[in-house]
Amino acid sequence: MSVRGAGVTMGGMRALTRAGAALLVAVCLPVVGCAGSGAGGDDGAEPYRIGAVLSLTGSYAGLGIPEKKAIDLEVARINEAGGINGREIEVIYEDDATDAAKAQAAAVRLIDEEGVLAIIGASGTGQTMAMRSDAERAGVPIISMAGGSVITDDFSEWVFQTPWPNRIVVPFVLKQMAAAGHTRVALISDTGGYGVDGRDYVLAHAEEAGVTLVADQTYNAGDTDMSSQMTKIRAADPDAVLIWAAGKEAAIIARNARQLNMEQPLYGGSGIARQEFIDGAAEAAEGVRLGTGRILVPEAFGEGTEAYNVATDFIARYEAEYGAKPDIFAGHAYDAIGLIADALGRIDGDVTSEALRDALEQTNGWIGIDGTFTYSANDHNGLTEDEMVLYIIDGGTWRLDD
Amino acid sequence: MDAAEFFQYVIAGLKSGSIYALVALGFTVVYGATGIINFAQGEFFMLGGVLAVWFHSLGLPLPVAGIAAVAATALLGVVFERVALRRQRSANPLVLVIITIGASMVIKSLARHLFGPDELSLQEFTPGPSIDVAGAAVERQALWVWGLTIVAVLVLAWLYRRTKLGRAMRACSISHDAARLMGIDTARVVMVSFGIAAALGALGGFAVTPLTQTSWDAGAAIGVKGFAAAILGGLGNPVATVIGGLVLGLLESLSVAFLSSTYKDAISLLVLLVVLFVRPQGLFGKARRGKV
Repeated sequence: MSVRGAGVTMGGMRALTRAGAALLVAVCLPVVGCAGSGAGGDDGAEPYRIGAVLSLTGSYAGLGIPEKKAIDLEVARINEAGGINGREIEVIYEDDATDAAKAQAAAVRLIDEEGVLAIIGASGTGQTMAMRSDAERAGVPIISMAGGSVITDDFSEWVFQTPWPNRIVVPFVLKQMAAAGHTRVALISDTGGYGVDGRDYVLAHAEEAGVTLVADQTYNAGDTDMSSQMTKIRAADPDAVLIWAAGKEAAIIARNARQLNMEQPLYGGSGIARQEFIDGAAEAAEGVRLGTGRILVPEAFGEGTEAYNVATDFIARYEAEYGAKPDIFAGHAYDAIGLIADALGRIDGDVTSEALRDALEQTNGWIGIDGTFTYSANDHNGLTEDEMVLYIIDGGTWRLDD
Repeated sequence: MDAAEFFQYVIAGLKSGSIYALVALGFTVVYGATGIINFAQGEFFMLGGVLAVWFHSLGLPLPVAGIAAVAATALLGVVFERVALRRQRSANPLVLVIITIGASMVIKSLARHLFGPDELSLQEFTPGPSIDVAGAAVERQALWVWGLTIVAVLVLAWLYRRTKLGRAMRACSISHDAARLMGIDTARVVMVSFGIAAALGALGGFAVTPLTQTSWDAGAAIGVKGFAAAILGGLGNPVATVIGGLVLGLLESLSVAFLSSTYKDAISLLVLLVVLFVRPQGLFGKARRGKV
């Protein structure tokens, strides 16, 4: 391509070419550094090829990057131990850039060109749903690491899920609030997929859990101040405030509540189970309670139990490799690759996508990070409220609420 | 609703509004000098916060980190103008606008690669509980945001009215060609305008990060709000632009009080459309032919 040659023509043309080049750079840049890093071995039998569609760039990059780290770590461990049935696992990564259309295109490429046995992904709910029809068409199972309830509520025999969906987390948190005597509850949720899904479950389960919703406020991703909404919540005089949000806005809400001198305790779910929430809200994070899985404080599994050993072993290896503790997203990915490895090991005879799907569905009591998984013909999430624990943020970290 | 509660909504509106105003000032300065809308303005806001966090993490004290972030972003604004826009000066304004969109994508991608995908935090300038003003709580950091906005406007007004450079900038905004014929170095004016716009955006990002955290993708949403505020203020003098920002913030906050939080963001887009249709010169601008 001769950009310079084009430069001798009119200035306008040249400007357009430059603008085009700038756009091209912008589009290509995010891809740099995310090229596939499969761990295929050259000798011995063909490796099992597994695809992974992750959000390595875009808004969910904070999810996709720890997910990839966890998968890399587990694949290396499995292959060093001799693989499964004597065959190694090779993971082919695709970045969906937090874009549903790109996730679908990536799934098509993995299925049709790479011939993968299964796909891990996507990081987000919208991206997962976009991959579904192609997975069903080709008969390739996908294991999603996204928490949207729709992924397994809107049942597909080819789609599995590792995180606890709002269907499990919301009723748990509401019951905890009621048990603490907070029956008048104010809700603030985001208008993105996570908040809308969570809000639906709050509205559906409030009565059953024994709480009354006295305020129902929303905000949009990217908002920089929620003190108007919190002023309205303060005027409704609730016993406690439930924040159903992910991202940096949740930290702003906690700060706004503190700034408005609101005394009410704040509650949340998996969306705020991130170190960035604590860093962003600083003192305002103190005393915030949240319901999610046990990975934040592995002692919650019960010391000496197998689940505790699994979690502490993973945490130690992750920390040694990457210098930071794994977050819940790394846990979702550990479970996704682990469930596949477990299912592959249980297949008698030919290893096909269909055999892998059947083996996944027969997963029974597999112990992972997000909990103990038991899939069945009508439950592809495999987790229950029993996997939930309530944390309180205390001294800049999580501890179990007592 | 009692007076204290109403006042609380006003405080919230003025807080968001002054953030919008700082971003809007950047749009106004560049528009004045070049007649184009710089869609990378939101990224300057993002860089102010992200770079301040980075400089602070290197061990620089907070005020120094802030000044360094503003200076580095201003420098980037100047470099961006020289490298990407200067040689296209005679090109169609649309081409220039597209270049700014491309630049915003490049800046965003680079920021994500250099500073990571997660939210970044900065401590408050003067930590402490919020201050009670007539029954409404006012965050200390909000006072900093207001103070810095006022300082920025005063400096800008002084620059425009009292300095040779400012007079040259105003001359450029009336007519580029006439200004050049009068011996004004218009290329320098445009370059300096980009530097000032970048510095204003970065100042906003630095002042707001303790309240909101920041991240590589923080520029887009604030860019839209700042653009709406700039249009509301008429893309003209700095005081009108700041009033545009404050009015937008107040409208949003009061819409939560009296309507529903669902409509809050729709308000800024609605304002943008209404102003463009009904009063394209902004709330305070005089009707002028030959622009837009």
